[in-house]
Amino acid sequence: MRRGSRPRAHWLIPYAAAGVLSLGFAQRSGAADDARAWLEKMNQALATRNYDGTFFHLTEGRVETMRIVHRVKAGRVTERLQSLDGSGREFVRNNDELTCFLPDQHTVLVEPRQDRGPFLGSLPRFGADVDEFYVIQALPASRVLGRPARVIAVNPKDQFRFGYRLWLDENTAMPLKTQLCDAHGQVIEQILFARLEMPETIADADLAPAVRTEGMRWVRQGPTSEPAAAALSAYRASELPPGFHLTVSGAQTLGGASVPAEHLVYSDGLATVSVFVEPDAAAQANAAAAPSAPEPPMEGLARVGSGFAFSTVVQGHQVTAVGEVPAQTVEFIAHSVKSFPSSPH
Amino acid sequence: MSEQIREQVSAFLDGELPSSETELLLKRLTRDPELRQSFGRYALIGESLRGVGGASLTASFAARVNRTIDGEAAVPVSPAAGSRPLRWWKPIASMAVAAGVAGVALVALQQRAVAPGVAAIPRMVIQNARLDTGAKEPLSYTVPAPAAAPAMMASARLTNYVFAHSKYSVGLGQGNLLSTLLSADADGPQVGGAAAAEAASGNVPGAGTPGAAPRVAPAVSRATQTAP
Repeated sequence: MRRGSRPRAHWLIPYAAAGVLSLGFAQRSGAADDARAWLEKMNQALATRNYDGTFFHLTEGRVETMRIVHRVKAGRVTERLQSLDGSGREFVRNNDELTCFLPDQHTVLVEPRQDRGPFLGSLPRFGADVDEFYVIQALPASRVLGRPARVIAVNPKDQFRFGYRLWLDENTAMPLKTQLCDAHGQVIEQILFARLEMPETIADADLAPAVRTEGMRWVRQGPTSEPAAAALSAYRASELPPGFHLTVSGAQTLGGASVPAEHLVYSDGLATVSVFVEPDAAAQANAAAAPSAPEPPMEGLARVGSGFAFSTVVQGHQVTAVGEVPAQTVEFIAHSVKSFPSSPH
Repeated sequence: MSEQIREQVSAFLDGELPSSETELLLKRLTRDPELRQSFGRYALIGESLRGVGGASLTASFAARVNRTIDGEAAVPVSPAAGSRPLRWWKPIASMAVAAGVAGVALVALQQRAVAPGVAAIPRMVIQNARLDTGAKEPLSYTVPAPAAAPAMMASARLTNYVFAHSKYSVGLGQGNLLSTLLSADADGPQVGGAAAAEAASGNVPGAGTPGAAPRVAPAVSRATQTAP
C-alpha cells in the first residue's frame, strides 16, 4: 500500500509545479499591470498637475540644467521650459500656442501647436502592438531626491528600438528620473530632477519669460493656406524592422527648396522614425542656407540628439531616415525606400 | 572635483542628498560649466557601473572612475563618451549665426511648412493600416565591418529634417528633443568644415575609431535582408 501511494504523490508534482508556475506567472503579469497603471498615473500627473522643478538633461557627458513650470488653471495649461545654463532660451506654451524665446538669436518664434502633450512628454498608451516589441517591468523600488520611487522599465525586445527606465515618485507618480536606454540597458540619455515642487497654485510671474524682448524680432506663424502638394508619396519603405508601420505621409517644402519633400512617419507605437525624400536638386536648395559651397548628396550615418539619421541616394533622390532609434533602424529603413507607382488621389 | 563635491554628487545621484544641500549643488552646477561636465560624466558612468540595482563599486573601480571623471584617463565604460558625437542640434544656432536673423526666420518658416498647424492638417494623409508591400520580415542579419567615416552630412539640411521630425516624435523623447533645442551652444558656431572634421576624426558611431568599439551595434547589412 505504501508503495502504491508513492507514485500517486509523484503524480501530484507536475500539477503542483504547474500551480506554482501559474501563480508565478499571475504575479508577474500582475506586476506588469501594476507597472502599466503607474505609467498611466505618470501621464496623468504630467498633464494635469501643477509643478515647478529643476532638472538635469544628460547626454554623453553633456549636461544642461532646465527649469520646468507647468500650471493647469481653469482648464488652461501654461508651461514654461527655461535653460538655466547661459543661452537664456525659453519655451512658453499657452494652451495650443508655443513661443520660443531665443535671446541669443534676438528672435522670438510663435507657432501654433496642435499636440497638447506636456513639455516633459508622456508615454503613449500601451496597446497590444507595443506589447509585442516591448516588455514592461516593475523593478525594485528605489529613492530619488530623498523620496521613495517606483522603478518601471520599458525594455525593447530587439535592437531596433530604445527603451525607458522611469523612477516615479511614490506619492505623485511624477517622473523624478527617466532614462533612455539601448537594448543592452546602456543609458543614452537621462533626465534627473534636482528639485520638484507641486504647489497648489503657481503665480503668473513664474510663467512669464525672464527674457527681455525689446528689440527682438518676432516671427509669428499662422495657419497656412498653401496649395495642397501634388504628387504625394510615390516613395515608401519596401521593408521595415519588425513592428514599424506607416502612420503619416505628406509633402512639405523644406528650407527654401522649390520642390516639396516627402515626409513619411513610421512608428512601432512608441518609437518614431521620419523619412524624407527629396529630389537631389531640391535637397541642395534646402542646404543653401549653409555658408559652404554646394554640397554633395548626403550619405551615411550621423548622430542626432539621442537618436540617429541615415542618408542615402535612391534613384537620384536624397533619402534620409531620422529618429530616436538605434543606428541600424534608420539605416534599415533608409535603405529600403523605393519608388512605388503613385496612386490616384 | 573636490572630495566634498564628489561626495555631494554621489549622494545626490543615490537620491540621498538633503534638499538644502541639493540646492547648493544645483547653484554650483549652474555656475560652473566644468563642474557640470564632470557631473555629467559621473552621472552616466556611475549609472553604467551601478546598474539599476544600485550595487556598490569596488574601491579600485571607483578610483578609476574618479580618475576618469577628472579627465585623467580614457573613459573605460562607455567608449562613445570619449568621442563627442556629431551633434545636429548645434547647427540650429550655427545656421542662424551664419545666415543672420534671416536664418532663424528661415528655419521658422520652414517649420511652418513642415508643421503648418491645425488648419493644414487635413493635407496629411493619416494611415492606420500597415503598408502592405508584400515584403517578408527579414530573417537574418549580418554585422558588417565598420565602414570608413561616413560622409559629412550637411548641417542645415539635417536641421530641417530634425525640426520636421520633432513634431512627430512621441513619448518622453519629445521632452528630450525640446531640452536639446533649448540647450546652450557653448562651443560656438560649427558648420560645414568643423562638422566634417568631427566626422572625419571618427566621432560618429560606426566610424571605426581604433581601439574604441562602437557603442551602438553596427548597422544591419542590406545584403541579407531579402534572404528567404
